[in-house]
Amino acid sequence: MAIKRRNLYLYLTLLCFFGIIAIFIADGYMGVYDTVYITAEEREQKIEADVWQRNDPYWSVGITQGDKTFLRYEIDNRRFSSYEADIEVTIWQMQEKVSDVLSRHIAIGAFKKDQIEWTLDTAALIPPDAQPEQRFDYTLTIKHGEIERNIILYINPPPYPIKAVPAPPR
Amino acid sequence: MNIRLEYVLFGFGILFCLAGVGYLAAEYVKHLSEAGKLASLLLTVAMFAFLSKYFEDIGW
Repeated sequence: MAIKRRNLYLYLTLLCFFGIIAIFIADGYMGVYDTVYITAEEREQKIEADVWQRNDPYWSVGITQGDKTFLRYEIDNRRFSSYEADIEVTIWQMQEKVSDVLSRHIAIGAFKKDQIEWTLDTAALIPPDAQPEQRFDYTLTIKHGEIERNIILYINPPPYPIKAVPAPPR
Repeated sequence: MNIRLEYVLFGFGILFCLAGVGYLAAEYVKHLSEAGKLASLLLTVAMFAFLSKYFEDIGW
């Protein structure tokens, strides 16, 4: 009787352990995960899916006026079924849409990845009458299905060239 | 100092298993939903409780 009860505890321990593993696989691994790669100012930033689950669901990037920003959006479909969605990338400022960047339909097979690349030219976003020392903030929104990612773009003025100060005459 | 080689290898095996499970837990816990995290926590507590009872029964 004691051996039976002892074995029961061992089986229950194993059951709990495999339950945890099952939760990690079903809840932690399975699903649709997206990653945004932004290359601005000679630096690539990787924004993984878990970043958006934090308290502040925004990511910010600093770009120098006139520079181009290279973006890559990768979707990892870790499900047994295919994933289909319309991806829409837009730029917003003060709750108003400034421009549509791209719109594309994607279909990703089970346990496959797909990615979209595009370039963002900051010169096209800035109004023509803007002052060179002016700073602009925009929100880049990537939306597909129920997933929405917001990245704040800080478009900073270009750094002034360092002027050489002539040496005072002696 | 008459430790059998098998026990040393078992020790390494257990250590690597724990390291692997620990790594996977650290890697995937950030992707878990709130309900998943809670269920995992409860199962972990239950697992250690049952394991303790098992060791208690075998006389440890």
